[in-house]
Amino acid sequence: MKRQTFIFFVGPSVLIMLALMTVPLLASIVLGLHYITFRNLDEPLWIGLQNYQEVLADPEFWDSLEFTIIFIAITVPLRIALGLLFALLLDQIARFRGVFIAAALVPFVMTPVVGTLIFRDMFDRGGPYWYWMQQIFDYRLFMSSTTVPLLIIFHNIWTATPFAMIVLFAGLQTLPQESLEAARVDGASWFRQLWHVAIPHLRSLFIFIALISIMDSYRVFDSVFVLTQQNPIYDAETIMYYNFQVAMSFGRLGKANAMSVLTVIGIFVVLIPFLVMTYREQTEES
Amino acid sequence: MTRTNNPIARFLIYIALALFTVYNVLPFCWTILNSLKLPKDANARRPRFIFSPTGDNYADLWLNMSPEEFAPYGLLLLLIIFALIVIGLSANRIPAPNSLIYIGLIGAGVLVALSLPRVVNTAEFYDYLINSVIVTIGTLAISLSIGALAGYGLARYRHVVSVYILVIALAFRSLPSLALVLPFYYLGQLSGLYDTHILLILCLVATNQPFTIWMLRSFFMEIPREIEEAAMIDGAGRLRSFISVIVPIMWPGIITTGLFTLLLAYNDFLLARILTQINWTLPVGIAQWTGGEDPGHVTLAAAASVSTTLPILFVIIFFQKYLIRGLASGAVKG
Repeated sequence: MKRQTFIFFVGPSVLIMLALMTVPLLASIVLGLHYITFRNLDEPLWIGLQNYQEVLADPEFWDSLEFTIIFIAITVPLRIALGLLFALLLDQIARFRGVFIAAALVPFVMTPVVGTLIFRDMFDRGGPYWYWMQQIFDYRLFMSSTTVPLLIIFHNIWTATPFAMIVLFAGLQTLPQESLEAARVDGASWFRQLWHVAIPHLRSLFIFIALISIMDSYRVFDSVFVLTQQNPIYDAETIMYYNFQVAMSFGRLGKANAMSVLTVIGIFVVLIPFLVMTYREQTEES
Repeated sequence: MTRTNNPIARFLIYIALALFTVYNVLPFCWTILNSLKLPKDANARRPRFIFSPTGDNYADLWLNMSPEEFAPYGLLLLLIIFALIVIGLSANRIPAPNSLIYIGLIGAGVLVALSLPRVVNTAEFYDYLINSVIVTIGTLAISLSIGALAGYGLARYRHVVSVYILVIALAFRSLPSLALVLPFYYLGQLSGLYDTHILLILCLVATNQPFTIWMLRSFFMEIPREIEEAAMIDGAGRLRSFISVIVPIMWPGIITTGLFTLLLAYNDFLLARILTQINWTLPVGIAQWTGGEDPGHVTLAAAASVSTTLPILFVIIFFQKYLIRGLASGAVKG
């Protein structure tokens, strides 16, 4: 392909990304250096790095960061483990696969706000899970600063496990048949096949799912919004949610922009190894 | 991998998967039940699976008039929809080009949807639905057309520039969207675009573009170069051969990417919450019933949840194999 045709094809997309992503990013750096509220939108006040000082000294910011990290540390491994478990179970059977996969898609495609709402109703007073927990475990669930964070984590696993399951199930269908055959001839048990053939083959998929999951868990927002009902007593704020509150509830747009610049830096620090890896892979391919 | 022949193990596997299925769909089934309950049934302390169903919640959700008054219009609406479906199904027998008929049908559908509030006193929820549909279709159209061109270019141009663009796009994919939407909010307020569909569509296109070009590029990579080279020898230019040769082969890939874009645009809450004030989309509209003090909110929210989810479930059931292929293609390439 000639350079001119390349520019012709790729130009619109690159222009869109430049104009609608790079410009806002630069704008948020500039806005983060100003004092802006809803009242002085058209005449922001320059205050330099004061917003950043304020964010870094804000205990709620560190609390929300802590919860986000805990959230990632719990949900990402669990998603992969449960996804692998159900993918392996699906791999064992021949019938009704389509039904099981279709049902698993329901929580995955559902609008997150709706999904969280109906998930909460199950655990809320009068919901089936709430009732069964009382009947079977004799545990009276009520929304508190212990249970709400747990529900946020549980809800995330509910919606995200199907994604990992379908990806890993598809990966299991592409296992190298020769190695499996060789293992079978050697009399290797199912666990040895799993450990020596399947897991190494799926390695790049685990990385792929982990990458997507870290990105998505880092910016989890909708479920926190619904499950906390915007009530601070539950002490379950993620960093995205606290950032949103600073902007829209407290009206501190400048401070919120400074905070979002910090979150962008944060995710990049985590992702740089992945980006370098992708760069190497792609240059080798082309 | 070796499948077990032990009947007990197989039985347990089916049980485990059946439980997983129940766990996946039970909340939605419970919501369907709730949406048909009176508030006193929905707020009972003991979950009620048997009750006398009512359609009041849906009537309250969609209409500002009594259901009895709506009945004749509703019947007329059903007749129109039925007629449109019949025309659509028998398109092959009508002596006119199929594409013309389909465009006419879509036009008629849009006309009916937009003129309904003038005839019937619809509630705000209907406006949220219209807003959601406009935003979703706008995002799909822009995102896919630009993304397909770029994906094709990136798949074919063997140069380090392509790699730079892809890696930067991947970095953009990881950005928390709040970092983009706050400046959008600010610029929107200053330019007067705040609370318009255009601003929301642009913001959704931007946040979605990196994903779109990555996915479409991976589908274009699978098409052998010989096909378009043959077309170009016939004297067609790049763009001509792209539109007339590549795009028809690529429909499955474009549909798959389109499904993910559709989910993203239709399900988005954060961007719409910040960039709109009264032109809410469905998720923002539903979020108003999340603080549950009013006992009527439970049933109303359930009806809204079902109304929002059913369209997306129909689309997904219809295109299920494309969605699964999309997820699996991420699987094969990693």
